Amino acid sequence: MGILEATRIQKNYGNKFNKQEVLRGVDLSIEEGEFVGIMGSSGSGKTTLLNVLSSIDRASGGTILIQNNEITNMKENQLAEFRKNHLGFVFQDYNLLDTLTVKENILLPLSIKKVPKKEADRKFEEVASQLGIMELQNKYPSEISGGQKQRTSAARAFIHEPSIIFADEPTGALDSKSASDLLNKLSSLNANRKATIVMVTHDPAAASYCSRVIFIKDGQIYTQLNKGQQERQAFFKDIMSTQGVLSGVQNEH
Amino acid sequence: MSINSLILRNLKKNLRNYYLYVFALIFSSGLYFAFVTLRYDKAMDPVEGSIKGGAAISTASILLLFIVAVFLLYANTIFIKQRSKEIGLFQLIGMTKNKIFRLLSAENAILYFGSLIIGVALGFAGSKLLIMILFKVTGVEGIASLSFSSRALLQTLIVFLCIYALIMLMNILFIKRQTILSLFHVKSKTEMTARKLSVFQVIIGVFGIALIAVGYVVSGKLFDGDFSSMIELFGAMFFILFCVILGTYLFYKGSVAFLVSLIRKQKGGYLNIKQVLSLSSIMFRMKSNAMLLTIITTVSALAIGLLSLSYITFYSAEDTAYNYTGGEDFSLLTESDADTFRQAMDDNNIAFTEDKAEVYTVQLNIDDILQTELELNFNASMMDTAVISEKAAGVDVAPDELKLTGYNELLQRFMSLKDEGDVTVHGKETETALHYTGLEDEYPISNYYTMGGLPTMIVDDALFQELKQDINPDLNQGYHWYFGYTIDDDAQLQRANDLFNGLDLEARDNSESRIDILEDQKSTIGLTLFIVGFLGLTFLITSGCILYFKQMDEAESEKPNYTILRKLGFTTTDLRRGIQRKQLFNFGIPLIIGLLHSYFAVQSGWFLFGSVMLTPMIVVMVIYTLLYSIFGILSVVHYNKVIKQSL
Repeated sequence: MGILEATRIQKNYGNKFNKQEVLRGVDLSIEEGEFVGIMGSSGSGKTTLLNVLSSIDRASGGTILIQNNEITNMKENQLAEFRKNHLGFVFQDYNLLDTLTVKENILLPLSIKKVPKKEADRKFEEVASQLGIMELQNKYPSEISGGQKQRTSAARAFIHEPSIIFADEPTGALDSKSASDLLNKLSSLNANRKATIVMVTHDPAAASYCSRVIFIKDGQIYTQLNKGQQERQAFFKDIMSTQGVLSGVQNEH
Repeated sequence: MSINSLILRNLKKNLRNYYLYVFALIFSSGLYFAFVTLRYDKAMDPVEGSIKGGAAISTASILLLFIVAVFLLYANTIFIKQRSKEIGLFQLIGMTKNKIFRLLSAENAILYFGSLIIGVALGFAGSKLLIMILFKVTGVEGIASLSFSSRALLQTLIVFLCIYALIMLMNILFIKRQTILSLFHVKSKTEMTARKLSVFQVIIGVFGIALIAVGYVVSGKLFDGDFSSMIELFGAMFFILFCVILGTYLFYKGSVAFLVSLIRKQKGGYLNIKQVLSLSSIMFRMKSNAMLLTIITTVSALAIGLLSLSYITFYSAEDTAYNYTGGEDFSLLTESDADTFRQAMDDNNIAFTEDKAEVYTVQLNIDDILQTELELNFNASMMDTAVISEKAAGVDVAPDELKLTGYNELLQRFMSLKDEGDVTVHGKETETALHYTGLEDEYPISNYYTMGGLPTMIVDDALFQELKQDINPDLNQGYHWYFGYTIDDDAQLQRANDLFNGLDLEARDNSESRIDILEDQKSTIGLTLFIVGFLGLTFLITSGCILYFKQMDEAESEKPNYTILRKLGFTTTDLRRGIQRKQLFNFGIPLIIGLLHSYFAVQSGWFLFGSVMLTPMIVVMVIYTLLYSIFGILSVVHYNKVIKQSL
């Protein structure tokens, strides 16, 4: 039994006269400690899939189990409760509150759970030193770089040790140096903390850090690749060629 | 889609978003029209003529105009900023700036003049109500029938056309200055960038609080005798105003952020949701809105202060009237007048209680018991004072003792007395040394003897008889008796008053009727109270609306934050609680500062206006706070809507 089990998820927009099917029955299973990438071209439904899996958006059909909790028919408040205990988020545009300092932003998830202050401080030090943002703790988001913001955002996602962390294009707004930096941190957190990460990306280089990559096309799973024992470079080439097939353009390499 | 249908559609959408703008427009045009109608109405002639109310009313209407103009212009800035994206889009699809301007103008014109027409109609209906209230408070008899004044309508139209032209000018400037790109970014450009608190800000913060405190302390001492000449007094008043207003500005600029950051520091980065939504946002937003908030606070303080003072005067009228007559319904001065009065009452079966006292004037040396002294033309060693016997006053006074009673609050401020001390009474030839033992509140005799609130002496009866033999005739050329009458049945008081006014009395001019004095006072103060109340209400509504608009704007720019928080697992209930706290601060801080300012202002000079401070001031403050909180509640409702939509 995986940590996340999704069966036949559907998501439609519009009304019955003008229905737009974004997800057409996606089956997905994620094991604990996995680092899963979801890839696909624009409009393939990958962000919708992430939103539905992470309870931000509601599925039109199908069931989603996270740690044996059925989230598809939970009420709004139950969902909020669920999110604060089980989920962590990293977004492309960081989603930091610009009126709070780095430390205050990171501690937010703990304050919802009313964790004692001492323990919160301990956890903060642990995660902040792992991500290398200890010395930024009293700065405001407007005073730090994009890469630092994204690491702050990641620290916030990891601090309360959620069952799953959802990352939506976390490297989308970063330069390549900051991006690889962040991805290294994410994969080491994945290894050290046994954290399960689901990451949506359209960047093959980012996806190559994952242990498994799922390709979405037209609202369905097209194929998936396992990294296995491969080197990252080799996995990257696999991903590139699969993506080439996916977009209908033959890869030259 | 043609331009016309575009205009109509936009209008429909905007009406829903800006119901308060429309309301404010209707309200302000209605208010203005009502006021102008009153001004030109014939029924107002007695009021205007009687107390030069004309000048007061025109000053008020100019002030009113000013507030309305500033308010509408401010509302428009928010109005147009919210639509910058739409304007950018029109430009993007190839509309010229001129065409966009025409579109906006047409839209605005429908909204604006539609509201104006409704406002004028309501204003006309409202002016009838107003004039009835006015006659009720002033007691001036008048026909509460108003004719529609075309002059008033014309003036209102011209004034609001000018404001409309100003608004259009502002819109032109706004549109001309923007490029397509910047239009798309107006909203996302937040009005604040969070930065760490600098040392400079800490200094500003502390300095702001200190300035306000200094202003308050000086205001408390204003009439304590430390400032003895008029120039010094005005200097002190100016100093207070300067300190408090600058202090308020610095308070918003630095102190709020400073205090909040102290709290945050103490939390060590661990903030709960209420603190996240309230503290952190207030810390930066108050700073960037310091100017606006200072104006709102000053205006509220002014409104509350003026309302309190006029209400104090109105409220004290009753007290003043009692003090004039020596605490009775009627006061008379001669035996034969008293006979005439008693006869008239008996003839009409009106029961009454009599209270009489023999009164002489002596000179009193109060040098030793005077606490402060202003440089007034006044000789404290020879103060003319009315004296009565302990028997007439109904208190017990020892042979070597002197009690004073009925000392006007205002005079007390300028010449305050010690609790006890030695005084000397000068008769024609003898001097008597007495020990002064305290001041009583009662006014036992009428204004004729006390000359506007000087204290009355009460002495031992034996001493009184001695003084009577040694009276200085120069000081005692007038009357020597006081007769006070209280009508037992309140229902007969009005009839007794009519009879009293019909009597042929020797001392007609110096005989007083309490209810006549009261009515006279009320008609003098009534108009002032009415105008001040009118302006106060406008101040209140405009500043409330401005804060509300500001919050609407803020809610829009904070929406992404709510999205983040909800994704993190905060429920809408959590957020709502945080917002309630935030609004408590957003509306509460300016209110409390305004209340404090007006409290200290009233405190420093209320005795110039009346004899009771606390009750009327609290009544004004409570009513103001209640009306003001309506806007706070409205803004919370708006926030709830935004929070709900945020995920």
